[in-house]
Amino acid sequence: MAYKLILVPLAGSAVDPDVVRLAVTIAKPSKAQIVGVHVIEVRWNMALDAVLEAELDKGETLLAAAAAVAQQAGGHMDTELLQAREASAAIIDTARERGADLVLMGMPYRKRLGRVSVGRTVEEVYLGAPCAVLAYRQEEPG
Amino acid sequence: MTEGEEPDPSSLEERRATTGQLPGNRYVRIVRPREFRRGHGGIYRATSEATAPKTGAGRLYDSVRRVLFGKPLTTESEAGERLSKKTGLAILASDNISSSAYATEEAMRVLALAGTGVLFLTLPIALAVVGVLAIVVLSESRVIRAYPQGGGSYAVAKENLGTIPGLVAASALLIDYVLTVSVSTAAGVAAISSFIPAVHDQRVMWSLLLIALLAVGNLRGIRESGVLFAGPTYAYMFAMIGLIAFGVFQVVTGNAPSAAVPLDPFGETGTEVFGIFLILRAFASGAVGLTGSEAIANGTPNFQKPESRNAVITLVIMGTTFAVLFLGITFLATTIGIVPDEFEQETVNSLLTRSLVGVGPYYYLVQISTAVLLLLAANTGFTGFPRLAWVLANDRFMPRQFAFRGERLAFSTGIVSLALVAAIVLAAFGGSVTALIPLYTIGVFLAFTLSQSGLVRRWWRLRPRAWQLSMAINTVGAIVTGITLLIVASTKFASGAWMVLLVLPLLVWTLFSINRHYRSVADALVLEDPDMRLPRPLAPIVIVPIARLDRAALQALAFATSISPHVRAVHIATSERSGVEFQRRWDRWGGRILDGGKEIKLDVIESPFRALIQPLLSYFDRIDERDPRPITVVISEFVPRHWWEFILHSQTAFRLKAALLFRPHTIVIDVPYHFRDTADLVHDHSKEPH
Repeated sequence: MAYKLILVPLAGSAVDPDVVRLAVTIAKPSKAQIVGVHVIEVRWNMALDAVLEAELDKGETLLAAAAAVAQQAGGHMDTELLQAREASAAIIDTARERGADLVLMGMPYRKRLGRVSVGRTVEEVYLGAPCAVLAYRQEEPG
Repeated sequence: MTEGEEPDPSSLEERRATTGQLPGNRYVRIVRPREFRRGHGGIYRATSEATAPKTGAGRLYDSVRRVLFGKPLTTESEAGERLSKKTGLAILASDNISSSAYATEEAMRVLALAGTGVLFLTLPIALAVVGVLAIVVLSESRVIRAYPQGGGSYAVAKENLGTIPGLVAASALLIDYVLTVSVSTAAGVAAISSFIPAVHDQRVMWSLLLIALLAVGNLRGIRESGVLFAGPTYAYMFAMIGLIAFGVFQVVTGNAPSAAVPLDPFGETGTEVFGIFLILRAFASGAVGLTGSEAIANGTPNFQKPESRNAVITLVIMGTTFAVLFLGITFLATTIGIVPDEFEQETVNSLLTRSLVGVGPYYYLVQISTAVLLLLAANTGFTGFPRLAWVLANDRFMPRQFAFRGERLAFSTGIVSLALVAAIVLAAFGGSVTALIPLYTIGVFLAFTLSQSGLVRRWWRLRPRAWQLSMAINTVGAIVTGITLLIVASTKFASGAWMVLLVLPLLVWTLFSINRHYRSVADALVLEDPDMRLPRPLAPIVIVPIARLDRAALQALAFATSISPHVRAVHIATSERSGVEFQRRWDRWGGRILDGGKEIKLDVIESPFRALIQPLLSYFDRIDERDPRPITVVISEFVPRHWWEFILHSQTAFRLKAALLFRPHTIVIDVPYHFRDTADLVHDHSKEPH
């Protein structure tokens, strides 16, 4: 399938570089645009557009690192920084607004109560996104 | 944003509130410019897109720069540009190690003037030189530990002996670095011309070309130039060590070969009287091998961490390598009985190699690696000079441009300046090594003596642990290098050393004058009170020189009225008729009456000799005399679409700006009128805030 725009939500976890490299691999044949997006979740007791210096720093740093990984893999990634109450809703709305045809999500390998945990954001995007969603789970640590 | 509120022009970020598909799913998109990235603490960082050229010509120029100098490096990658001990030895010690190729010959040539019978004294002289080197290495290792921030002799002398001795040491080293480049390049070209005689006739041109190549190599950054220059240094070292080991083995086992004979060997009976002065001259000539040994102390910050330790280890390796090579060559040359060529047609190094291994592949390996290393020894100057200039610029003894680092983290101004000065010196001396050599080494020994004396004073003043030992070492160092300085200066004075002794005080005076200027500027600019309030200037008198009443003039007048209510227009007419005509046109123009009913006054000045700038300057002087308010000149400047169209315009605005640059009490504001803005009469309504 020929993709035009691949949205890659990034949370700054260990799986980010793998997801970015996979996005570059998928994007290459159709020369699709890759947009890495990081959502700063703002607590309800703060204004939605509050300036959160530490979170902004973290977001800019992880997006810059992801862009560098994309460049090393031979691709290019644009980046977007959002603030929202719920990361999943902002990702779904951004995918819709930008006309993304694939959301590529990374899941770090985590276990809860003996089972691999998917995570709320991944689950909600999986269920709510208007386009195809591909979830990449990190391999089990040896 | 409320109505009437203007956007904050300093904000690079925009926060755009967006409503999601579901009610309540609002989110904020932080729109950041591609050219800047927000960093820690809200500080923006320019990305490569901010520095990327915007025009085709700019991109072409940029591509050429990339090919020549490589990609720009960020400030953080400075640590990656540091030198390891291996590359440090190659890049900072090449001058010292390469001098082992000719130090023996230099001493032998002086002794041979008294006949070949006294050539046996070359070995004791070499031992004396190595003894001085050992003291220098020991003393310099203490300089490195005491001053890890670099600066070498200059830093030591300045801190412990005072500013003037510090500047004398710095000037001596700067001169010596220039001469290192000139002499080494000339020597390298001379070595090449032994293989390719055709090079000899154009030796100045080839030398200049090599200086340019070295400058480009160094502008690519210190690590990359280190990698480039490491090969020849190690090739020479291993080739010579192999040759010496083979030679010593043959001598020890009683199979010493017979000496190869040059075309014109020195005669058994000499032309000069043998005596102490001749021995001292031979020692001074052999001491040329000590040049370059200060480069490591000066460039300590170039090393990887721990800088001081790595620099000291490299210094010891350098000293040991030089001593082994110099003593090995001297021992073999005197034992086998090599006699130097009177007319320099073949080097002692070549004669020794020919005697030991004959003319074969190993002979060519030694000769070629020697020639290449002699050429690259100039690189020590390219490493030392810019670093010292950087230290001096930070202390405000040299222009600030020397403190800036280029795109590749190299001290570009220092490198380019050194290349230019060394090229001028080399061309002035016709590319002759013989003519340049007498100028050499004085600076090094002067700097050594001052730094050793400075350290003696430091140990006496601070008295750290085991200060007596350090003081004893540096006292011996100061005495030995001081004596060597006197020997070198007296024996080489007539043959050219006087030039260095003449230039040295001039350079010291120049450095001191530069510092005096910077100090006076700093005194004038410093904020005495850190909470000093912004001064409240009076509304200025704004004068708008107008050549024609056109759109460009209207734009300048519109701007002038926005900054002050006191605006006057002035027109310089070249004849009475044109002046009257301009005044009539101005009076007909309704725009001169402002909204409040106030009128912009016009002064028309007739200039019968058609001069434009001088009458304007006199007009400003007269206005200035009568009013304490600062004069603000708003200049309307027409900017054509392409740079080459500039020649079709008179450049009056440019000349006026240049004339006003040094006029006190005057603010100059340039209001450019771009050709492509023709559609926008005075201001673009679409850009007004809503």
